[in-house]
Amino acid sequence: MDYIAGVWQDTHYQLIRVISMMLRFIFLVILIVTSVLKNVVSGQVPGRDKYQLLTMPFNQRPLTLYRGQLHGSTGYKFAVRTQYYDSEGEVVYLRNTGTGSVYHYYFIELRYGLTDFIELAAETNFLKRGIRSESTTYVSTTLPSSEQVTVNKLTEVKGMGDILLSAAVRFPLEYKWFDLALRGGLYLPSSRYEPQEPSHAVSGIKEENSYTVDYHYNNTNGFGVPVYELSGAFKLTLNKFTLNTGIVFSDPTKEGQNIRWEEALVERDFSYYDNSYSYLLNRTLTIYTSLHYQATGWFDIRLSGNYRKSDGGWTEYWGNKYSNPETRLFTIEPGFELQISPTLIICQNAGFPVKGKNSDAPFYLFTTVRFNMFPFLR
Amino acid sequence: MKKSYLIYLFMLLPATMLCQTERQLVPADLKQQTIVSEPVTLRKGFFRTGIIMNYRVADKYFNASGEKEYYITSSWGSTSAYGIILQYGLTDRLQLDIKTEYRNKLQEFQNKEIVAGTNTTIVTTTRQKGLGLGDSHFAVTYQFLQEIERRMSLTGRINVTVPTGEKNPTNIRSVEKYDLPVGEGTYALGINISARKILYPYSLAGYIEYKHNFEGAKKFSAADDAESNFRLGNRFESGLSVNLHLNEWIALANEINFSDKSKGEVESIVTQEIPAEWALSYEPSLVFQVKRFRLGESVRIPLKGKNVPADPLYKIMIQYLF
Repeated sequence: MDYIAGVWQDTHYQLIRVISMMLRFIFLVILIVTSVLKNVVSGQVPGRDKYQLLTMPFNQRPLTLYRGQLHGSTGYKFAVRTQYYDSEGEVVYLRNTGTGSVYHYYFIELRYGLTDFIELAAETNFLKRGIRSESTTYVSTTLPSSEQVTVNKLTEVKGMGDILLSAAVRFPLEYKWFDLALRGGLYLPSSRYEPQEPSHAVSGIKEENSYTVDYHYNNTNGFGVPVYELSGAFKLTLNKFTLNTGIVFSDPTKEGQNIRWEEALVERDFSYYDNSYSYLLNRTLTIYTSLHYQATGWFDIRLSGNYRKSDGGWTEYWGNKYSNPETRLFTIEPGFELQISPTLIICQNAGFPVKGKNSDAPFYLFTTVRFNMFPFLR
Repeated sequence: MKKSYLIYLFMLLPATMLCQTERQLVPADLKQQTIVSEPVTLRKGFFRTGIIMNYRVADKYFNASGEKEYYITSSWGSTSAYGIILQYGLTDRLQLDIKTEYRNKLQEFQNKEIVAGTNTTIVTTTRQKGLGLGDSHFAVTYQFLQEIERRMSLTGRINVTVPTGEKNPTNIRSVEKYDLPVGEGTYALGINISARKILYPYSLAGYIEYKHNFEGAKKFSAADDAESNFRLGNRFESGLSVNLHLNEWIALANEINFSDKSKGEVESIVTQEIPAEWALSYEPSLVFQVKRFRLGESVRIPLKGKNVPADPLYKIMIQYLF
């Protein structure tokens, strides 16, 4: 009996020792898993400080912001539109016909890192441009006194764009050499999209039947309907080189209604009336790829390629729906990103059109100043 | 003996306390100073050379009423200039400047004329180009007051413009087709007074300038048979700038500039052909100082004006100090 009791006691002790070891092991595993999970979820290596995160070079930066990080960007694009791709993809030199123009595009964006792998963003823009049409002089010599009317036409587009609200989620691991992100957003039709009344004028009256008519249309910016946007991005870093590629798809949620101004010229005075029409915006697909070289920690040089295609929309004229032309444009963009201080970054891209169809082909210079901070972190 | 040692040490104490260490600047360091920290004139024996490129298109202008308008007829124009600057410090206060530029001007118009009676369409395309050496400028700058801790610098400059650029339309094929002039065709003398104060990492500067244009002669259009005597209006210009270091080698400059030019004369008669003009502009610049190299980018944005272009003027500057 004593022997049995001894064996039982030994077994009991061994059992307790095994259970104790198992508990220690489980505790250790939980500790390790918790620690790993914490790092995975936060995406940060312990020991990184705010300064390090603010000055993180492009090739070591994930596709979304760090938790608590705020980016405020403001940008200006100056574009010179001197050529156009026609429906056959041939270049039409607008400056030769005196119809070249300039557009000024101002941009503002706010991005905030909700966690290390979720980001919220809001952006809007302001656009200003005037497109001249070819001046035409109509001469009639059939009347007793010859009549000569010169017609100039300018279509001005000016105004705030819609507000895009978006959220992005990235691969929940610390960025080492690759990253994936998905973004979804919606353009709220916040801007005043209906065109303003034209401001046509009659000038240069030399004789009774000779004068100049200046048509001046005042269009606005904005889609007029909600447009959703979905995008995916991929980033791959190999030492100082980084490949960043992505796809952006946008589509209107519904058909829109707008007005079109018509005019009547009586005794050299214009009167205006508007007609409403319906429309469906084109859906747009953009594919971009950029190759980056991190020359030093504060200087990144890049060469990007952008391909943009839009189709599928229509516009109503006199009760009939006419499909919008399919547009395509491929642009090459050399550029750089310069970290001036932990809180200030400057980016600049120059855009050169390479190929396209039914599309303006402007040369542009896009400068962005980015303020970078952790407002709630000391 | 012990006492005298103590007295001696006590006497040395203030000297030890007041002793300062001053960083010795070698010429190589002096040549790497930025637009914020460098003296307003070059130091003796220093030589700087540089290129300035600028570009502007003709899309909008301020009319005679001061309103911003698009050019409404079908027309397109652009102008660019590639200037070379040589600067030399004769003494620590006296600097010589030479500047000349190569200009490229372009104007294109098209008009379609539809004649109803004969049912014909006539398209008139006008393409005018101007390529060549523009006018040259020579300047002498003298620093009356050198900047010290509590005093700003005060500098005077005399600027002479020599009409080295072609002043008349050339290669005339028709009234519409000819090469544009690239020079003003007149001598000019300018006086500039500027002041600057460094409050590191900032510097504040201001200047006033008056330019007197002398009489010259040129053809105002390709249809003119002979040159007409003319005189451009005199020009007053002033500017205020606040510059700051964004880091040790990048400076941001901000300038508000005002210029006013009086009416010109043709054959001693005040004419609308050379109208009075004024402009108020803002010019931010970003200047990178990489050792002795200086790379700058700026844009002059017209804010208000009368009879002047309303499009931004882009400038890129590259300089090297030998």
